[in-house]
Amino acid sequence: MIEVNRLIKIFEGRDYVVRAVDDVSTRIAKGEVVVIIGPSGSGKSTFLRCLNGLEEFDDGQVIIDGIDIAGSKTNLNAVRREVGMVFQHFNLFPHKTVLENVTLAQRVVRKRKAAEANEKAMALLTKVGIAEKANEYPSRLSGGQQQRVAIARALAMDPKVMLFDEPTSALDPEMVGEVLDVMKQLAREGMTMAVVTHEMGFAREVAHRVLFMDAGKVLEDAPPARFFTAPNEPRAQAFLKQVL
Amino acid sequence: MAFKRQSAQWPWQGLLVVILLGLAIGLWIATKQVHYEWRWARVPQYFAYQEEEPQTAPFAGTVIKISPAGDASQVTIQPESGVQPVTVTVKTATLKVADGAQVSEDDEIGVLRGDWRIGPLTQGLWVTIWISFVSGLIGMIIGLITGLCRISKNLTLRGLAVLYIELIRGTPLLVQIFIFYFFIGTVLHLDRIVAGIGALSLFVGAYTAEIIRAGIQSIPKGQSEAARSLGMSAAETMIHIVLPQAFKRVLPPLAGQFISLIKDSSLVSVIAITDLTKSGREIITSSFATFEIWFTVALLYLVVTSVLSQLLFWLERRFARSD
Repeated sequence: MIEVNRLIKIFEGRDYVVRAVDDVSTRIAKGEVVVIIGPSGSGKSTFLRCLNGLEEFDDGQVIIDGIDIAGSKTNLNAVRREVGMVFQHFNLFPHKTVLENVTLAQRVVRKRKAAEANEKAMALLTKVGIAEKANEYPSRLSGGQQQRVAIARALAMDPKVMLFDEPTSALDPEMVGEVLDVMKQLAREGMTMAVVTHEMGFAREVAHRVLFMDAGKVLEDAPPARFFTAPNEPRAQAFLKQVL
Repeated sequence: MAFKRQSAQWPWQGLLVVILLGLAIGLWIATKQVHYEWRWARVPQYFAYQEEEPQTAPFAGTVIKISPAGDASQVTIQPESGVQPVTVTVKTATLKVADGAQVSEDDEIGVLRGDWRIGPLTQGLWVTIWISFVSGLIGMIIGLITGLCRISKNLTLRGLAVLYIELIRGTPLLVQIFIFYFFIGTVLHLDRIVAGIGALSLFVGAYTAEIIRAGIQSIPKGQSEAARSLGMSAAETMIHIVLPQAFKRVLPPLAGQFISLIKDSSLVSVIAITDLTKSGREIITSSFATFEIWFTVALLYLVVTSVLSQLLFWLERRFARSD
């Protein structure tokens, strides 16, 4: 489903050069849940953002469902329709109601009729357990509720892949569970997922593979059972010692 | 004991009243000093007046009867050559003949009040309002386009936008109006109204562009990232996500800009557009009620800008629903 070849992303400032993603290659199969962990600044979010072209990369290749997203003839907007993304800070549209947040892209991008889009939106809002807030504005919702709306918004496009960029990092601790539950349900339904997170419990329980990144490189690529018990890399060992 | 202290308000209210009274008395004394004679009664006719139609005798003859009917009078004239008498109706106050008087053909008997007409102040006010409205609308469109060019990745668009904004903001509006009318207007054979609206639109457009640019840049990047990640194009993101939010944020400074525009529009009177200011000047040359007319003109501008500012305040509150 996703194929990444020798991906390189460099941030250049006035007096610094950071290789945020440094020669990363990996594959994510259909229905696979891959969790990317690593210390902050290790380039995991940047890597994830390269997968749907939100971040322009310097070199390498990202192929989504057979389409090279950096190809000269590729319509990036068409690719992004198939790749849902959930952000750390939710990024709901504050001037639209919850329902409009979920229907807008369906109508604009997928050209669905209002009735069809509303039906789809209500079904998804029910699924993430927030249907009763459909006509509220996002500012009236808690963080956990907003993030669940954001997931529904991404799912409304019928994506083939879902990218999660630290979806629980900005939440109060008591709201983390409700968002992770929705994500677990998605994983069980066979959604292809790439998740950047600090939730080790989620990684252990749901992930098929764990990627450990540090300084822009993937140092470990292993099933969670092996990664959490016997990591090869000393840096992964040190990281796990700190977070577990 | 409560820590919050209630301070008395009435001494300050009293002081405010005293200061306002002092200003009013000062104004009164000042006009006394210059021996100004106030003629406020002359002002209303410049808003609207009744047309006066002089009534004349249709032929030479003698007035045989004057019968008052309300504030009008019916004057009956018997012709010399002995045919049927004719009755003419005029306002009693303007009656110029007495009973039994001899009149010649076309002698004025009096005046009859005709239809109501719109006075020059009302006409000028209307011109000011519609010129400001049209310039504001065009300026808004120019501002939106320029604002978008200003943050474009394309160097040509950005350069042109910056040049335009700097040119307009760095020169006086009065000079711009002269250039627009005497240079561009002459080259392109523009009507003075078109030239005036053009100059005002370009002026307000440059300021609006900077306001809109600031508004767009104040919307967090996450908003457009979320929209783009859903597959929306850059244009769709701008239209559905960024601009509505940006517009809501810049409404207060935009309101200020449009209120300024109404006041700045008085400058088009220099190219002989009869707006409110020019009407005021023309009325003064015939009425000599200088102070009254200028105060009235100022009050009219104040009314228009207050109404607009209330309107925009209402709009602002409506947009605040999602906060």
